[in-house]
Parts: sequence; C-alpha cells; structure tokens
Amino acid sequence: MIDPYYLQQLVIGLSLGMTYALMAIGFTLIFGVLNVVNFAHGEVYTIGAFASLVLITAVAPPFVAVVVFALAIGALAGFSLERIAFKPFRRFTDEASLKSRAMREATLLSSLAVSIIAREAIELLFGSQQQAVPFEYLINQPIHLGPVIIVTGDLIIFGISALMLIGLQFLLTRTHVGLSIRAVSNNPLGARYVGINVDRTIIMTFVIGGMMGAAAGILVGLYYGVIFPAMGFIPGVKAFVAMVMGGLSSIPGAVICAIILGLSESVAVTFISSGWADMVAYGFLIVTLIFFPQGLFGARRERV
Amino acid sequence: MSLAEIKNLSVKMGIQEILHGVSLDVPKGSIVAVLGANGVGKTTLMRAISGVYRVTSGEILIEGQPITNMASHKIVERGVCQAPEGRQIFSNMSVRENLVLGGGSHGLAELDKVLALFPLLKERMGQGAGSLSGGEQQMLCIARALMAKPKLLLLDEPSLGLAPKLVALIFQLVARIREEGVSILIVEQNARAALKVADHAHVIDDGRIVLSGPSAELQTDPRIVEAYLGGHVA
Repeated sequence: MIDPYYLQQLVIGLSLGMTYALMAIGFTLIFGVLNVVNFAHGEVYTIGAFASLVLITAVAPPFVAVVVFALAIGALAGFSLERIAFKPFRRFTDEASLKSRAMREATLLSSLAVSIIAREAIELLFGSQQQAVPFEYLINQPIHLGPVIIVTGDLIIFGISALMLIGLQFLLTRTHVGLSIRAVSNNPLGARYVGINVDRTIIMTFVIGGMMGAAAGILVGLYYGVIFPAMGFIPGVKAFVAMVMGGLSSIPGAVICAIILGLSESVAVTFISSGWADMVAYGFLIVTLIFFPQGLFGARRERV
Repeated sequence: MSLAEIKNLSVKMGIQEILHGVSLDVPKGSIVAVLGANGVGKTTLMRAISGVYRVTSGEILIEGQPITNMASHKIVERGVCQAPEGRQIFSNMSVRENLVLGGGSHGLAELDKVLALFPLLKERMGQGAGSLSGGEQQMLCIARALMAKPKLLLLDEPSLGLAPKLVALIFQLVARIREEGVSILIVEQNARAALKVADHAHVIDDGRIVLSGPSAELQTDPRIVEAYLGGHVA
C-alpha cells in the first residue's frame, strides 16, 4: 500500500508541472517564430500576479474574474513586450537579417533589459517584500479524497492549465491565427509568400505566451500565497529548462518535460529535502545538454 | 490590356544593384516567360514583385494600381501569388494545412478547383508536406498559390530538380491554369520548355532585359538557340 503522503506529493508535483508548462509554452512559441529566447518571460508571470493582486485588494472580484483579468493583463504585457523589446530589431525582414545572429543577440539583450526594468519598477512601486494576499483568495482549502488530502489549488491549477492547453491545441490546429503561428515557425519566408501578416502573427504569439505566463503567475501566487517582485525568476528558469529538454520548438515536448520536471521536484522534496528541488531542474538541463543536444522530443529542425 | 506592368525596376542588395531598370508587361490571360542563366536577377525580380525584396526605384502596377514596396500580405490580397523558388512549403504541416494557409481569407473556397488540377494531392491531404516527393512538393507549392485565387501567378523555376516527365506535366498544368483565366509570369532556366508554353518571353542577363519578343520568334532566334537551347540554327 502506497503511503497517501506520496500520492499527495505527486498531485502537488503535477500541478506545479502544469504551471511550468504554461510558462514553457510561451518560451517555445516565441522561440518558434523568432528563434530567440525571451528573457522577459518571467516578468510576465510576475506582472500577472501583481496586477491581479491589485485588482483583488481594490475591488475584491470573484475568482473567475481574477483569472480573466490576469489573462487580459498577460495579453497586454505580451503585446507591449514585443513592441518594446523585439519589434525595433526587426526593421529588416529579408532572409539574411532574419537568420543573422546579431539580430538574435540584440533581442536577447533588449528582453533582458526590459525584464530588469520591469522587476525594478515593481519593486519601487510595491517594495521588495512579500505582498499580503487576502486570505479568502488563497486556493488552499483541503479536500479529502479518501486518505489523500489535496487542496483546492491543485484542482484549480490542473483544471485551468488543462483547459488552456486544450484551447492552445485547438488554436494551433483549427484557427487561422494558430496555423499562421505554426507556418511562421516552420518557414518564415514561405509565410510571406502565402500572404500571412508576419508582424501580426508575431504579436499574437507574444499575446498568447503572455496570457499563459500571467495566468501561471496568479495561480501560483494564490496557491502559495507568495507574491513578490522576483517571483518570476525561478519559474522562468524552470520553464526554460523544460523548453530545452523538449527540443526548443516542440510544444508537446515542452509540456511533457515541464510535467516531468514538476513531478521530479516534488519527488526530490519528498525523498531528499526541499533544498534539492532546484537542483533537479539544473541537473536535468545538464544531462539534456550533454546527452540529448536535440532535446528529448526535438525533431531535427529543418533549415532551408 | 496589361494585367501587370513593371516599369524600370531597380533592386539593390546592400551596395550592389542586382536589377538595373527592368521593364515588362504581362497582358491579361497570357503567359510571359523570363529566361536567363543562374544569378542574373530572375529570382530577385520575382521577390521584388512579391514584396520580399525592397524596390529601389521603378514601379510595379497591377491593373493600373501600384503595389511597389507594399507588405507581402497586401500584395497577395491584390491577387499576386507566387510559387517561389525552393518551394518554401510548410514541411512540418499537413498538405491540407498548407492549402488552408494558401487560401488566406478565401479559406478552402478554391479547394475543389485546385484539386481538380492536382488530383494527386487529394490522396495526400492528411500527410505531412515534408514527406512528399519533390514533384509532389512542387505541385503543392503551385496549388497553395492558386488557393488565394490569384489574378497573377508568379512561378519561380517550377521545373528545378524535377525529372523530365514531371517537367512536362508541370508545364501542361501551367497551360491549364492559364485556361482558368489566371495570367502567369514564369521564370525558367529550362528555356525550351518555357518557350513552348509562353506567349511572350524576355531574356535577362546581368540584371537587364537583353532580348524580348513573342515566344515563337525567340524559339528560332539564333542568339537564343545558341545560348539557351543548346543548338545551332541550320
């Protein structure tokens, strides 16, 4: 008979993994269309949490409204981020410039700059300490499932993340916006020949990534009751690891690896100690880079 | 009446000018061929028309309206679609998805008509586009361009890398596409095949048009025969 405690840890690991997955999707989508890593992605997570907290303290809306608000803020943050940190470096759209390393490195630094500015701005506005989250909004009421005790947050995070993943799958395979995103990832030049508005598609990619990141931020914030300016950093690193493990541009790969990461961390906490959780992610990253340089799910990427 | 007019078009890449004042007309319902060796500016011309390269000077008119230096997607909206060099299909996506994307705002409205031209693709709809053979990929590339119901179809080296049998098939299809009312501008190294199907042809060398005329005349022009058809006029 398995000790219910372990099952509980697995449930926690699963919901943790789902939030990493939401973050990792943003990384993966953006890497797909632009071939760059968006270093400000962690800040979208923080902004989602802070903006929602402001809303909660100001008008105390129902929980669903908080999530919808976080999604809207995430969309806005993604849009602004693209305009501020990425668009200015995309003045030249010919093939050579799209593939040039200088362009990529420039946006790498500009997104890092935006990330630092955003974090410091939040710290100036709210202070660096943890914010008080109103008790009634915490999603940690226990639920007894036989001998296993989980909290409402596990279910809520799992449910919302699953809905968003299904929504994303629908978007990417059934809608014109989604097909355009995949087309630009697959062949940016071909996308222009079929009349896809590449600029708008890139914005949509950031909007979708921003929505998922901000939702993850507020869900985790309310789950642990911990919201502070640097909260986006660690999940950002974890999501980045999931993306690399998944093979950089594979969404299913990133999601599966994010869940594996969440589960392994929770196992590490159970059997070793909580200090080892972060080591698991970095360990996975090193092992992946050494033994699976293409990622666990990375198909060989085609470059024509 | 001209469907497309290209007037004195120059294109610079960096400091180097690739096209020096190219002018040509595509009359409505006609097939116009642009011939020339590798690296003389044929693909540059096609990319400039589709808005992928910037035009330095000159004008491109479609039905009298300028499209010069418009964004690529706006040019497609004006009815100018290209089956580009290297095909540029979406290899990670299915044949159907490629066609849907080609349709743009028209969606799958043209699907039946296009599949009637390319019945082979019908059986491949669910398959990954990257798994198609070279000839099938070329067909998909042309089919994708036709999905947007173009007035002007640009074909950049449709015969490149294909077996002679397939080249013949592709050119048969080109003739049929014209019968559907689409005007065609085709760039080819395979001068013989292109001249057979085209009404009018231009020869480009070093970024300039050096020779123009009805295809029938060019086919027997000694300069063409010697330089591009590999023979001598008796």
